[in-house]
Amino acid sequence: MKNISVYMAVFFLLFSGVMFWESLSMSYYSEYGPGPGLLPLWVSGIIFVLSAVYLVTAFKKDIISFARVLPKGEGLVNVLVCMGSLVLFMVLVPFTGFLIGSTITLFILFSRGYKWYWSLGFSASVAFIIFWVFGVLLQVPLPVNDLGW
Amino acid sequence: MESLGYLLNGFETALTWTNLLYCLIGVTFGMFIGVLPGLGPTAGTALLLPLTFALEPVSAIIMLAGIYYGSMYGGTITSVLINTPGEAASLITCLDGYPLAKQGRAGAALGIAGIGSFIGGIISIIGLVLIGPFLAKQALKFGPPEFFALVILGLSLLLGLMGKSLLKGMIGALFGLSLAFVGLDQSSGIVRFGFGQIELMKGIDFISIAMGMFGLSELFLSAEASLRGKAPEPPKVTGLLPKKEEWGPSMKAIGRGSVLGFIIGLIPGTNSVIPTILSYSMEKKLSKNPSRFGKGALEGVAGPETANNSYCGGALIPLFTLGIPSSPTVAVLLGAFIMHGLTPGPTLFQKNPDLVWGIIASMFIGNAILLIMNLPMANLWARITMVPFKLLFPIIIMVTIVGTYSLNNSMFDVGAMLVFGILGYLFKKAEIPLAPIILTFVLGSLLEKTLLQSLTIFQGSFLGFFTRPISGTILVIAILSLVFSIVSSVRNKRIITEDVEM
Repeated sequence: MKNISVYMAVFFLLFSGVMFWESLSMSYYSEYGPGPGLLPLWVSGIIFVLSAVYLVTAFKKDIISFARVLPKGEGLVNVLVCMGSLVLFMVLVPFTGFLIGSTITLFILFSRGYKWYWSLGFSASVAFIIFWVFGVLLQVPLPVNDLGW
Repeated sequence: MESLGYLLNGFETALTWTNLLYCLIGVTFGMFIGVLPGLGPTAGTALLLPLTFALEPVSAIIMLAGIYYGSMYGGTITSVLINTPGEAASLITCLDGYPLAKQGRAGAALGIAGIGSFIGGIISIIGLVLIGPFLAKQALKFGPPEFFALVILGLSLLLGLMGKSLLKGMIGALFGLSLAFVGLDQSSGIVRFGFGQIELMKGIDFISIAMGMFGLSELFLSAEASLRGKAPEPPKVTGLLPKKEEWGPSMKAIGRGSVLGFIIGLIPGTNSVIPTILSYSMEKKLSKNPSRFGKGALEGVAGPETANNSYCGGALIPLFTLGIPSSPTVAVLLGAFIMHGLTPGPTLFQKNPDLVWGIIASMFIGNAILLIMNLPMANLWARITMVPFKLLFPIIIMVTIVGTYSLNNSMFDVGAMLVFGILGYLFKKAEIPLAPIILTFVLGSLLEKTLLQSLTIFQGSFLGFFTRPISGTILVIAILSLVFSIVSSVRNKRIITEDVEM
């Protein structure tokens, strides 16, 4: 079952199924006119039906194998590092503050293409510039540590 | 004449030092993202959107509109010089632009593209000045049923043109619409699909979706390639003007491209690639020697490049007059209007004349700036193609994170952006078009509001839409368009354009 279409169809089936179930708890029609459940019920119902058709076609003709579309080797690592770095940033920042958290995240991203000392220099510089532009110049209240950075 | 007076007032607004600066920043950034493969106008506009919070609405929209039409100019440079379109609308330019560059005539290709883009841009803005206020006046007579019908028409045309599979296009569109239901329902006051999360009470932020689906997912795709290689050095650009005998055919191609791009821009649900394809095939058919096309015909660059710029001005008319975005980038612009407390639509010309005419006037100025940037500075822009992606992508990711965080100073929005980034990446792999998702998400609240209001007027009867001449006619066209798409899809004869303007 290495067909991405099947997983996508199942995702939409689950998504629409949950929405349909939730929509049933909202009023469909009130004394003043249509209720908040009317459109979500119809839309999720139609997605469910279309997703079922998608699932059937996914087995028969819309076969997109993982091997054909997903990267391998270095490309796969690059993509996973990109995704992972964002997760890491969200986990780190509340504890370390913006400057340290973003420097670590940027270091991981830069190190995919540069030697460690260049990566360290680039990441510290970029993190500082972004902190200054957003935090100081544009007054965005960035997440900071007890020391204020 | 009334429009001319307003336009002169608009120039007064656009020519202040502040607005000139933001126009310059917008078109320069637009050129930059146009030159950079992997980052399109939608992602670029979404990227700068959070930075405009502190700006005056007119300055913010002048800057964001500058990114939109500026990117159309920028994409040409990489198409001609290194055979890589910076954005989708310049794809067709590779066919003749790159062969011209190989013949040592990159300057002529870029020169005629710059001149054509300028003329196309200016003609479409003149069209906007002439048609916009008239259409807005007519649209004032529209009620909820007419607006509902217009939204449905836009979506049906979009579905007809988008992606390889109509089924996936429809699922994508309805998925986007479902996301718009999340949060507090304005009419009943209840929270829908909140699942007990306080952050979901206000709904999913438009920026999180746009940045994730268009920005992050593109970065993930670009990161699939090796990051260790070096970018090729572009050829030197010399001699920016065409030969004497090439002026006539090129100017005719520019004229035809201007009209074609503008007309297609008026149709909701289209995108900037369609006029370029049509213009290229029209020029090839009208040429005395079609065999030159694909080998370095200057008209093959002039026509499509003019058409994509002319399209941009035309595409703003449905937004300004009806509040309906015709493409993903215009949807981001709609988001910018809403974020700044403005409602695009028929009342915009009446309630905010300074703003709307200021934006239109700034587009004249922006196009002039872009012409100067393109012709004498083409070599400088060409050097930007040499900035390695491995240096740019960490910076873009960090700016994207901070931009999204700054919306509500919340990590929840960053998390939502990541989720939509991963979803966008997987959707692209599964060939599910992203443009319908963002368009239906943006139009979701208008669609639901007008539907519920109409059903209340018609006492719950759907047939009521067909008792009003305008809404009835528009809905019939929408239904016919959808039926045509389904039939064409079954016969495998549907015109297919991939997700563009990302």
